[in-house]
Order: sequence, then structure tokens, then C-alpha cells
Amino acid sequence: MSTTTPDQPQPPTEAAVAGVRVTAADFSYHHADRSQPAFAGLNLDIAPGEKVLLAGASGAGKSTLLHAIAGVLQDDDADSAGELRLDGLHPEQARGRAGLMQQDPESQVVLSRIGDDVAFACENLAVPPAEIPDRCRYALKAVGLGHLRLDHSTGALSGGQKQRLALASILAMRPGLLLLDEPTANLDPEGAEQVRDSVLAAAQATGATMIVVEHRLEAWLDEVDTLVVLEPGGGIRHRVPADTLYQDQALRTELISAGLWVPHHDALGSLPTWVSPDRRSHTEGSAVLPLLVGEGLAVSRESPGRSWRKALPPQPVLDEVDITLSSGVATGITGRNGAGKSTLLLTLGGLLAPHAGSITASTLLKGGHGDQLADSPHEWRSADLTSRIGTVFQEPEHQFVRHTVADELRLSAEQARIPGTKKPLFTDHEVADRVSQLLHRLRLTHLAAVNPFTLSGGEKRRLSVGTALAAGPEVLMLDEPTFGQDAHTFVELVGLLREHLDSGGTVVAVTHDQHFLRALSARTFQVTGAEPHRSPAPESGNSRVSSTPLFSAVRDVSWLGQRGPLAKLVALCCITLALISTIDPVSATVVAAASFALLPLANIRLGTFLKRIWIFAVAAVMAVWGAAIAAEESGRVLLDLGVTTVSTGSLEMGLSLGARAFAIVLPSVLIFSTTDPTDLADALAQQLKLPARFVLGALAGMRLLGLMAAHWTTLGHARRARGLGARFFSQAFGLLVQAIRIATRLAVTMESRGFGAGERTWSRAARFTTADGGVVLGGVFVAGSATTLAVIADTWNLVWM
Amino acid sequence: MNTSASAPIRQRWTVSDIVVASTLAVASGVIFWGWNLSYHAVSTLFIVYPPTASLVAGMWLFPAVLGALIIRKPGAAIYCEMVAAAVSALLGSQWGLGVLLSGFVQGLGAELILLLFLYRRFTFDVAVLAGAAAGLAGGINENWIASYYQYDAVGTLTHIAGFAISGALIAGVLPWMATRGLASTGVLAPLRSRKAHRESAFGLRNRATATSTS
Repeated sequence: MSTTTPDQPQPPTEAAVAGVRVTAADFSYHHADRSQPAFAGLNLDIAPGEKVLLAGASGAGKSTLLHAIAGVLQDDDADSAGELRLDGLHPEQARGRAGLMQQDPESQVVLSRIGDDVAFACENLAVPPAEIPDRCRYALKAVGLGHLRLDHSTGALSGGQKQRLALASILAMRPGLLLLDEPTANLDPEGAEQVRDSVLAAAQATGATMIVVEHRLEAWLDEVDTLVVLEPGGGIRHRVPADTLYQDQALRTELISAGLWVPHHDALGSLPTWVSPDRRSHTEGSAVLPLLVGEGLAVSRESPGRSWRKALPPQPVLDEVDITLSSGVATGITGRNGAGKSTLLLTLGGLLAPHAGSITASTLLKGGHGDQLADSPHEWRSADLTSRIGTVFQEPEHQFVRHTVADELRLSAEQARIPGTKKPLFTDHEVADRVSQLLHRLRLTHLAAVNPFTLSGGEKRRLSVGTALAAGPEVLMLDEPTFGQDAHTFVELVGLLREHLDSGGTVVAVTHDQHFLRALSARTFQVTGAEPHRSPAPESGNSRVSSTPLFSAVRDVSWLGQRGPLAKLVALCCITLALISTIDPVSATVVAAASFALLPLANIRLGTFLKRIWIFAVAAVMAVWGAAIAAEESGRVLLDLGVTTVSTGSLEMGLSLGARAFAIVLPSVLIFSTTDPTDLADALAQQLKLPARFVLGALAGMRLLGLMAAHWTTLGHARRARGLGARFFSQAFGLLVQAIRIATRLAVTMESRGFGAGERTWSRAARFTTADGGVVLGGVFVAGSATTLAVIADTWNLVWM
Repeated sequence: MNTSASAPIRQRWTVSDIVVASTLAVASGVIFWGWNLSYHAVSTLFIVYPPTASLVAGMWLFPAVLGALIIRKPGAAIYCEMVAAAVSALLGSQWGLGVLLSGFVQGLGAELILLLFLYRRFTFDVAVLAGAAAGLAGGINENWIASYYQYDAVGTLTHIAGFAISGALIAGVLPWMATRGLASTGVLAPLRSRKAHRESAFGLRNRATATSTS
């Protein structure tokens, strides 16, 4: 395969056409503010085309090393020594030679259309625009996404497809080195396999060098040449041929004790043998008792009621579900992505209202003072819910609301109340007891005073289970609890859940992990969505909530939708300026009338438009009222309120202001609903010459709008599950933490694709057409007519005088 | 990588700065939306005397100061406030294109205070001043530039004073607290503000700048 790389400043030598040689000599890196270096005195030589599996205990610096090789470690205050070279070049000078894929699919996508996303890296590396479409099509085909249109929305892809899209974006750069940081940890088995196969096929076809970090060694071990094990805080501990791991007993033991998943080793062997209470009941004849029963259940993330926003009542994602959760029994909810598993879990957990059918808590679950409680958990106070049903979210951080680990555990226990009263369920002494016992069980006692957000991944997972257990619920709900966890955490989690089952509780988990389900002797509840042909929902957990703000990738096909964004913006500016410069009813009326007349150009039906703008009419009425009572009194007094009056003058002023406020909105609605943000960004950067780094950064941020809204909703659920009511500021803070986490990973993705390095090209040139000229003239005409007619009517008055 | 090469362009925004600022602004847009959904009743409380409605308007100013305290580079206040404004325009804004003008003017108000301290001081008092300045700028815009209101003298004064007070509290005190909270979670590691939780509230100098020369 010929990989000419015209974008590279120095043409690669013959040997390096395909794979990059990676060399490290005495390389060290120390993050600012950390007591230990990430690694020190690291020596490494990876041959062109070599495939390496990089392993090590969690926190051994694997990700840091990959980031260093990708040239995206740029911390001003960090200490770095020794040297690291890609084909003899400093990693930052070798931009584009290495492609990096990280774990979280959401932060591997930059733009809203798949074609743009793949082109993004090429543009950053200043590949000639004529060459980019071919590269994109080739790369998408190589990862099995060639059947999708180039303007397909990236938001509609599943997690596995997002990772393959990321691979396509990397391949389009024609890199000589693939860096993969746990690329399949967040994926279901099918998605994981497809990603792995695509990566291996790409490495094969291009001859690129490959370094993959993974703690489930089995998936990659047979496909790589070399196994490299990192020493935490040090250098390379082992560098052996991959198949050594099958024979070398000492090496196996070492990796097992580091928490890695070693092939042919049963991690659960370290736990005592266990027979589930469910099975014991068969042999001993004791009964399992139902705790929670769902009958004819239909579930949806949207509330079942109609609302003014929606034309039709929402369809449930899943219906006619009958499910019984009993003490001592674990249940695994399985099924394909988007089938509604997480939605079912949240509904059973009393966090979403059932769409139809019923959920009934048994008297056993209701417990003491249970007669005070309704049957459906969704109607319970959060303070009653938390001591009966605990929910563990896929992202542990969603549940964290306090500054220390101990406070986090204390919270749920403190929040729990006796049903029907405001009296706490536990005395202070009992709360303290529960906290210290849980700290011990979770092996977090030494971290009691630490900020929960700073824990390692495994510790966070343990704590999130602990916070759900703190108030002593019988029912424990978990959403993908084993995603991305190492073997140690897996075993600890299984141990905790077995204890919970033994004590008469029930466990319900949404999971793809068969190993986990077997470990709990779980009954499987297979979910098949109501209508499989419906548009695939994105990944569970992060699924888009359609009542939340959206950010569409699909271009508007109306006449106005096909015009250039810059022309529309200029027209809108003219009209807005004409309105802002004066406060009079005539110009406002002209603009409002023109907006309604132009609806066909935007292909918006009158009904839709009215639905969209009625709220602004309400705001306009508020403006009328505000001015009527608080503007300067003039003319006849209509209403004397003592302290203030409503006069003919102030009422007229109010009506003018209200009409103006309403009129300002209308053309904006027309323009914004027909303008694609990506196209607008292209125009701002190419035509207005705004700095491309900032325009594209803002655009990449805006793509996350739907995801942020989904996080917001989940944070709200998590607060209810913790026994807290509505907590606006806590929810807002939680959102900011997630926003910055995602942004940090996204920045790494963008930088590893050459963003911000220098001159870039644009695969799609933004042009100004004759029709665009018409749009501008139209805007000038509307603005001019409004002003002219107001002047003729003698109502025009310049506000800045 | 403590190289001298990066010293002369210290104030240049890194890719992390840009993406974090953008995402913060977008998250702010979602917070506005959550606020509107849950607390739309709040503004109707001010129906008795509408100029006092500006007492909650500080809610719309917090991205400016939050962005400035977290990014700590020139332009952060204006950039965050404008991107947040653009997001609310996309979500269907009350003031149409005017929201971008408001975003710019309010961001400028906060930015001027940070400039006054040469982007070296990000303490409690500076945050409160910046929030108040954003509110003051917002009040000036809404009464005299975009002129959404035409109150009498008392009404205008009430409106602007309310805006500034609200700005100082909601867009000054809260972002300062949020920045410290965020720093203690460790998420600010790639940014200048990563040690914000260890700075004193009224410290004479921002320690992050002081230690980076070591």
C-alpha cells in the first residue's frame, strides 16, 4: 500500500513509510503536584510495524506514556527528562504520524457529521482540500462505516461505531503509529469485537506500528508481537514476546496480582465458594420472597403526559414487561444497545415514572411504617426511597455530592427518614456505625478524608456501591457496574454483591458481562425493544433525551436553509439594528409581518412557528406591564396604585417595547432554525476570518450540548437516589465537573489530530453566491422598509439620543 | 516540559483552554435551561415592581467570571459569556440576536476588572468585582444601548443596582466557590487554576503564576 504523506514537513525515509520507530532513552515524566513520577528512566525501542500490548497495574502511567508518544502532554509545570522520539523526531514535531484513540467514545468525536469529523484531522494537517474527500471515503470504508452518508449525524452512532469513526479519523491522517488507550473498555462485546477487528485490519493494511493499552489481555494477546509491562513510577519491567504469558508462571502471577485479566485464569478463584440464596432455597425448601413486582410495564425517559412541545405523546421504548425481583436473587437485564435497559432500571428504581402498567413494592420492601407508603416507588419521597432502593449509576461521579469519602457514605444514611414523618431513620450513633463498617468493607478506611473525585477508577466504583448501600436498601440497582474495571475491582464488587444477596437483598444489573452474571448466579432478563427498526438510540446511559435541547446535524432543505450562513447573519444584523435603534410600534409591526410572510422560504408551517414563539409573546406582555407601571408618567393617569401609576404615556411606551421585543425574536427564529452551526462556523472562520482555533473549539463544545443535557438529567436522578430532593447548585456543580472531564479528553483528541498546530485547510470552501446577495438585499429591504414606514408615520425615534 | 520556549507566549490559549472554556459555556447554557425549567416562577415574583427582576439576572452572568477564574487568560470572560449566549440563542432566546450583544457587553464588564489586575489576581474580591462589573455592564446595555427597558429614573436605578448586586453574588461569589470546588476534585489539572483550592481568598498574588517559574 502506498502511503505518500505530502503533509509531512520531512518526507519519511523509505523504512518509515509504513511504520514508525518509537524510541525512549532514560525518559521520565513527573506531573505537577504528584508525589510520584508517572514513570522514570524509561528505555524502549519499538520497531516499525511492531504490535505491542502495554500492560501494568492501574496508575502505572500507561495512559501518560501513550499521551507522551502522541505529543499531547503539555503541562507547563511538569518535569520531563530524557528523550522520546518517533523516527528520530520529537513527538510534537511528528504530529499526524501518530493517531491516538481513548476509552470514552463521546470524547473521540469532534464534529456533528461523520464526513466533517474524518476530514477534521486532514484539515488540521493542511492536506490539500482536493485530496481530503478521497481520504475520508477510504478511511470510512476501512472501518466498515462506508455505507453511511457523509452527513450522517455522529450523535446517532452507537459507542462501538463512534470508536470506529475515531479510527477512521486517525487513518485519514495516514499515520505510521496507532496508539490505543483501552479502546473497547466502554463497549458491549459485539462493539468491542468490531473495534478490535477494525484496528487489526487497519494495522495490517498500513503496516503501522501499534501500541495498545488494555487490562483484559485476552482480547489482544494473540494478535500482538510483544507484551510490555510497566513498573509503576519506574520504567519497563518486562518486554517479552506476547505468547510468553501462556508459559511463564512467574509473569502470570505478577500480572494477576497487578489486577490484570490474564487468559485462562479465573479471577474469582480467590473468593470463597458461594451458593446463591436462590439455589439454596431450592435445596433447603425455604422460599424466596418478592420485593418489587412490575406488571405490564412500559418505560420511557419522557414523562407519559402530553406537553405543548410535543405533537404526539411519546412512545415507550419498551412495553409489556413483567418482572419480579425477589430477595436473595440477582437479575441481569441484558439486550442490545438502545433496547431500553437503562430506562427500565431507572423506572424500577423509582427514578422515572412508569409509562404504563404498575410497579408494586411488597410489604417486605416497605418495611416498618410501610403502610404510609404508596405502592409505586416513584411516588415515594427521596428520603424513603434511599433506604429501600439504591441505584448505582454507570458513571460513579454522578452520585458524588460531598467533599470527603466518609461524608459521602454518611449522607444517604442521614437522609433516610421514617415513612410519613420527618424523623431520621437512624440515630447519629447508628449512622457513624454504618459509615465505619462500610469504609472497612469497601477497604476505603485510609481514604476516608479524601475528595471522592480524586479516587482511582476502582475506588470510585466501590464508593458508588457503598453510597447506595449506606442507607441499607434491600434492592440494589446497578448500571454496567463492570465497564472498564480491572480484575481486582471486579472480584471486590462480586464479593460485596454476594454479601448483599446473602443478607436477603436483591441485585438488579444492566450488563453485557456474562462473567459477572455467572458469578452472582443471576437470572437473565432479556430485553427486546418495542420496535427494533426505530432510529437507534445512542449508548445507554448517555442516551439523548428528546425533551432536552438538541443540536441537529441534518441540514435544512428549505430555500433559506441552503443559503450561506454569513449572508443570513448580515441580513439578521440589519433587521435587528433597525429594531434596536428605535422604540416604535410601526417598525416592529413591519418586521413581524415580514417574518410571517417569509415563513415559506424557511419551509416552516404557521402552526409550528406559533408553537415556537408563543412564549416570547408572553415575555412581550411582561415587558408591556413592566413599562406601564415603572416608566415615566405622562398623559392621562389610567390607574393609580398609590406608589406608582399607569398612565397613557407609560402604557404606550410599554406597548411599543413589547412589540419591539417580540419582533426582534421572529427573524432570529427563522434564521437560527435554518442555519447549521457547522456551516456557520465554516463561514465565521473562512469568510469573517475569526480565529479558527476558537471557532472550531466552540463548535466542538456545542456538539456536546445534547450530551450535557443528558448528564443534567442523570445528575438529577442520582440526587434523588441519594435521598436528596431537588438540589440545583449541587446538580450544576456536578455538571461542571463532567463538562471539564469531557472537555479535557476532547482536547487531547483534537490535539492528537493536529488541531491548533498551525495553518489548516478547509475541505469545504465557504462561498458567497448570487442568491446569498439576494438574502442580504432582502434583509436590507426589510430593515429599510421598517425604518422608512416608521419615519413616514412619524413614530421613529433614535434611542441613543 | 519546563522549556523556556513557552515563556514568551504564556498568555496564548492552549487547546485545553479553548475546549474547556467552550464546554463550560455550553454546560452553562444547559444550567440556564435547567434554571428556566425549575425556577421560571421566580421571575413572576417580581411582577409587583418589574425593575427588581434584575435581582436574579446575575444567573445569566456567571459563565463570564467562571470562565475567567478557571482559564485565567485574557479574553476568557468575553469568550465564555459569548459562547454561552450563542448557546441560549440556539435554544431559543428571548432577545434573538440581541443576546449576542448582551453576552459581549456583560463579558466585557467582567473582563475589564481582570485586565485591571493584569490577569494576575483571581481572588474573592476580584471575582466579586468582576461579577458586579458584568452586572453593571448588563444594566447599562439593557437600559441605554439595547434599551429593552424605558423605566423612570427610580426604575432605571433600581434595575441597574439590582443587576450589579445580583452579579456580585450569583456571578461573583458562586463562581469563586465553584472554582475552588472544581480545583479540589482534580479536574482542573491541565489548567492554570488547578491550585485554586489552596490559594487564600484574599492572597496578594496568584500562587500558580508564582510557582510556575521555578
